[in-house]
Amino acid sequence: MPKLTIDGREVEVAPGTTLIEAARRLAIHIPHYCYHRGLSIAGNCRMCLVEVEGVPKMMIACHTQAADGMVVHTDNDKCREYRAAILEFILVNHPLDCPVCDQAGECKLQNYYMEHGTAGSRVDEDKVKKRAKAKQIGPNIMLDSERCILCSRCVRFTDEITHTHELGITERADHSEITLAPGAWLDNRYAGCVVDLCPVGALTDRDFRFKCRVWYLTAVDSICTGCARGCNITIHVNRDRPHKAGGTRVMRYKPRENPAVNQWWMCDAGRYSYKQIDHERVDSAAVDGRPVAVEQALDASAAALKRAAAAVAVLCATTATNEELFLARALFAGALGGHAAYLAPPQGEQDDLLLLADQSPNTRGAQEILGTEVRDPVGWVKAHGVKAVVVVGEADLTGLKAEVDHLTVIATHPGKAAAQAHVLLPGSVHAEVEGTFTNHAGRVQRLRVAVPPIRGAVETWRLLLELAGRLGHPFDFAFEDDIFAALASQLAPFAGLSHDNLGRRGALLGSGAPQPTEVV
Amino acid sequence: MSVDPHANVELPAALAAKEVEITTFPEELKAECDAIRGRYETPRAALMPILWAFQRRFGYVSQEMERVIAAELEIPVIWVRETVTFYTMYNQRPVGSHHVQVCGNLSCSLCGAKETLAMISEELGIGVGETTADGRFTLSVVQCLAACEEAPVMQVNDRYYGRLDRARVREIFGGMG
Ligand code: SF4
Ligand code: SF4
Ligand code: FES
Ligand code: FES
Repeated sequence: MPKLTIDGREVEVAPGTTLIEAARRLAIHIPHYCYHRGLSIAGNCRMCLVEVEGVPKMMIACHTQAADGMVVHTDNDKCREYRAAILEFILVNHPLDCPVCDQAGECKLQNYYMEHGTAGSRVDEDKVKKRAKAKQIGPNIMLDSERCILCSRCVRFTDEITHTHELGITERADHSEITLAPGAWLDNRYAGCVVDLCPVGALTDRDFRFKCRVWYLTAVDSICTGCARGCNITIHVNRDRPHKAGGTRVMRYKPRENPAVNQWWMCDAGRYSYKQIDHERVDSAAVDGRPVAVEQALDASAAALKRAAAAVAVLCATTATNEELFLARALFAGALGGHAAYLAPPQGEQDDLLLLADQSPNTRGAQEILGTEVRDPVGWVKAHGVKAVVVVGEADLTGLKAEVDHLTVIATHPGKAAAQAHVLLPGSVHAEVEGTFTNHAGRVQRLRVAVPPIRGAVETWRLLLELAGRLGHPFDFAFEDDIFAALASQLAPFAGLSHDNLGRRGALLGSGAPQPTEVV
Repeated sequence: MSVDPHANVELPAALAAKEVEITTFPEELKAECDAIRGRYETPRAALMPILWAFQRRFGYVSQEMERVIAAELEIPVIWVRETVTFYTMYNQRPVGSHHVQVCGNLSCSLCGAKETLAMISEELGIGVGETTADGRFTLSVVQCLAACEEAPVMQVNDRYYGRLDRARVREIFGGMG
């Protein structure tokens, strides 16, 4: 195994490791544009030049492999001088329109320039103008060729990850530019990823463009709810600026790296599903269609459940968190002696990259915690002689209301379930609670609070706790992690796991402890 | 830049007549292209000589030809587009019987290529990317012709001409049919 010295520190790496990766092991960041761990090595931007002792010319760290005894400098005067020169080259034809550029604030050109650039350019030639400024190249993507630094990340993504080949670099030298293939449109399922990959403002997201300056955003770790893959994401929230974007709180999702789940990517369906969070929410409780205070609705629900005694059941959609599912089980199957099951998840399209047919984020969690899947709710309540039902989440409950004496629905959006309810309770979505989902492969992953429950709504787990209290079975849980602790102590596959030790990348059911986390 | 297909320059009638319509892989090039294909490990590697075979046959490589070639090699059409637009040697439209390719790269620029180009343009009465009305001359700017010692240099069809000045250019063009 080659052992080398980088900036005075020794590190031993596997044969074939590149200098940029070896440096990463030491938490040394080497500036780079074209290099991306999810793509092939292009070596075209030259931003990563480092000095290797005994080698006359500067070497690109993204492609040069570590060798035994190598002595590498990543931040001496020579490196800094080269970096400044490379930036000067890259900026020769750049329009420097940061004030009107949507990437400003998260632009690698801006960032590196502030750190490594030189003041002023020595080029007094006219800038070479590209054909079009701000051109739409797909349903969600704008291309501004003037800002492009030709790193080819977007091209490699469409060549190597989606294999859809919509993009290429045509012409030559300073006339080169990103071009759509003849007749193509950048509309593949993962097209939004090119915006994440683009280090500058050349590719921007039409959905996000000009909605919010990125420095007003707060990023919170979460999980996409679009399918059972459970892609790791950050939710970008526009906190404390309700006067912007019509009061919309959530501005966008960005994929978050997790090698075991989604690598660096997410699908567009998932990416734009953030819109559901603030769209047409159930924001008031109701009894028989009349809006009432949440307290009153809880009282009404509890009274009806009491009348049904043990002929009660809870049916949870597979969008509920593990914590909510566990509370539902503990209350209905445990304390009340009734039934607890989950509703069969809706199925959609799937592909061979990430998207799975199961469109729920927590089907596996429901399997582990509730066990029984219900496809036909009406038949199921009949078979079990259930008189009062609580449904958590959305489902087609046609005919159920006629079959039981009472139906309480904890809903987040108006839908088929909410429409049927005797008692409607306004619950929370994933972005509004702490909690966990278990993905299709059994990876338990954390959700963090990005925003409080929308005005009028209450955390679903709190609603369940309130019901439990009213039914004479109070639980001693103050927060979501207490619920998870109880879950982990009672269900073997979750044993040893806790909110704290799941970390940012989650842990597999049955692993007993989190996997060691890699340097990011 | 080579002859830019995006430049909205209308082809003179003499050139328009040279345009061919290709919708399927031309039979007459099948054997040659198969042989080329056989010489390389990957189909993409065979692209340049196949493009060259098309250009030899038709005088240029149209976007339809790019599509046909991509389909034959089973590679994305954008790879063909990238290659055709990168090399100034591939003509994207028909060119005149004398294709005047003036080098605009470094050594030539240092030796006055800009002025040489302006002078040639004036002599021919056409701009870059244009063709004379009689279809005889097409003017292009190309990358280094690897004859820097003769700068400023131009290539007309397959011949090189160096150390260009007005007198020499007149003599060269005057001697052409
Ligand atoms: S558009 Fe962005 S990602 Fe694509 S080559 Fe240009 S700078 Fe790189
Ligand atoms: S693949 Fe599934 S989890 Fe991942 S982003 Fe798409 S919908 Fe969301
Ligand atoms: S990151 Fe190494 S050359 Fe671009
Ligand atoms: S620069 Fe003109 S021939 Fe080399």
